[in-house]
Amino acid sequence: MRRLAAGLAIAVALAALPSWATNQYQVHLATLIGVYWVLIAGLNLVVGYSGQLSIGHVGLLAIGAYVYAVLAGTWDWPPLLALAASGAAGGLCGLLLGLPSLRLPGFYFAMATLAFSLIVAELSLAMGSVTGGGTGLAVPGFPAPFDTPGGLYWLVLGIAGIVTLLTWNVASRMWGLALIAIRDSPVAASAAGISIFRAKLTVFVFSGVTAGLAGALFAALQSYITPDTFAFDIGLFFFVCIIIGGRGSILGPFLGTVVLTALPEVVAPLAKLGNFFYGALLLVVVLVIPEGIGHLVEIAAARIARRRRHESHVVQPDLPRLAAALARGPAA
Amino acid sequence: MLSVIVSGLAVGAVYVITALIYNLMYSTSKVLSVTTGHICMLGGVFGAWFTTVLGWPVLPALLGAVAIGTLFGVVTELVAVRRVLARSDEHLWLLSTLALATMTQQAVGLWWGTEPRRFPRVIPQDFSHGAADQKFWLPIGVMVVAALGLELFYRRTMWGKLFQATSEDAFAARARGISTDRVRMMSYAISGALGGLGGFAAGQLTFAYFALGLTLTLNGFIAIAVGGLGSSVGALVGGLALGLLSAFATYLFGGEFQQTIAVGLLMLVLLIRPEGLFGARGVRAV
Repeated sequence: MRRLAAGLAIAVALAALPSWATNQYQVHLATLIGVYWVLIAGLNLVVGYSGQLSIGHVGLLAIGAYVYAVLAGTWDWPPLLALAASGAAGGLCGLLLGLPSLRLPGFYFAMATLAFSLIVAELSLAMGSVTGGGTGLAVPGFPAPFDTPGGLYWLVLGIAGIVTLLTWNVASRMWGLALIAIRDSPVAASAAGISIFRAKLTVFVFSGVTAGLAGALFAALQSYITPDTFAFDIGLFFFVCIIIGGRGSILGPFLGTVVLTALPEVVAPLAKLGNFFYGALLLVVVLVIPEGIGHLVEIAAARIARRRRHESHVVQPDLPRLAAALARGPAA
Repeated sequence: MLSVIVSGLAVGAVYVITALIYNLMYSTSKVLSVTTGHICMLGGVFGAWFTTVLGWPVLPALLGAVAIGTLFGVVTELVAVRRVLARSDEHLWLLSTLALATMTQQAVGLWWGTEPRRFPRVIPQDFSHGAADQKFWLPIGVMVVAALGLELFYRRTMWGKLFQATSEDAFAARARGISTDRVRMMSYAISGALGGLGGFAAGQLTFAYFALGLTLTLNGFIAIAVGGLGSSVGALVGGLALGLLSAFATYLFGGEFQQTIAVGLLMLVLLIRPEGLFGARGVRAV
């Protein structure tokens, strides 16, 4: 009950953000975090739960963005329909990428996704007649009531909320357990009757859909996209958010997304270091706390809880009675 | 047509060198390091820095580039591999080497700049020789020397035999008194030296460019995946085939679809022969 109330309070506070934010930039930043989270929430099922290290999801983000820009901009589709179409396109490309590459072992899969993101970058440059080539494309925004910064924020918040709910449902039921089993021991998982390839492919396609949606929202937020917008670096950023937040948790990667998106904006020198900072953070986390910072928070919370319980069981010695018993001596 | 073949062979030679480094590191540690291409990148960038900025003659600059490569190999082993191998999670080395590669690339980008820079002439030669230009033949020469040298090293020297023993079965090797940690360190140092040499030799072809590392990591990986992991012949065939293929693809269709075609080759081979053309069929891990 208290948890529900806290959740409601957070939801209301988040929904009211455009009214209590002191400037437009904060709304923009919150929207950007939301857009990233739509992608990362889906990717988290692939990377954090089933342990498939996809470092090339930026390719799917770019596909979603270009599909939205072309359909809503060049072809004059209604933007909300184009949004749905870019989600579908992301899912389809996820399926096409996942069918061959999810059969490959760890490093091979990571390299296949890396190659995929490079191919998307190459094709978006090469097919200039559709994508505008290096000069890029202007992207139309969403219609009212989503045409203001606050409105776009609400749209992103709504989609992020739905995606979070979906991933939470997947992660906390049998599916999540099956994915963790695949991550930790594929042989044991298949012995327990889990169809490994189908489970992996399903979550990968789901992550493709969320990446496509995130791409469309990202394009509408940026309002102009070029192939340079979707450099390999952002793909790495998504990946780092999940690993730093902690695998096998939803709160951890969410905190990772918020902190890593906001930190370079707040601390200017970090923005200049860019990838070096993310790389160093990743290295420290892998070497020191491979379970991620979210795991550290969980341990700390468990320890505090245990200490409280422990303290409540402390028995205060009854000193006067003890002294009396000692004074009487062993004879009594 | 001759120039297309020669430039394809030269680009392929760079891929072969990267693939040989992959094999060398993999043999002793069972780690496919993301930093592999970055070693060659460092060789090229530092070679250009020593010669053009510091004004060193060619030979000291070459030795300097090899030294930097060796140092980076050792650092990779110490920072990203040794501690991670102590734990059994198979994904962690991918993350740690990826982190180190990202840091290296960004640090070089901040210090050296993000534009490709000119690499000086290594041997005095004017630019009128076409296909006989040194920028093509230097990497090919280094590739031949490296492949033959590694083969001799494996077959004729004690250290080479230690490498092979560690590669076959690290536990048995340790039981026979081999310090597998030292062997692994040695293999990373040799990989670094080879990468420094290769990056220096290929400098005129690739330019001194900070983002070269990631491209080489991917293409060198395609070469070993096509040729077969752990096989020197496979690395040679895979790398040269990839180089020739991308040269002809550029010649026929233009340079825009190079990566797409390279990855198409990778997917085709992996679908038909998952262990690569010359690789040993692995036993399923249980």
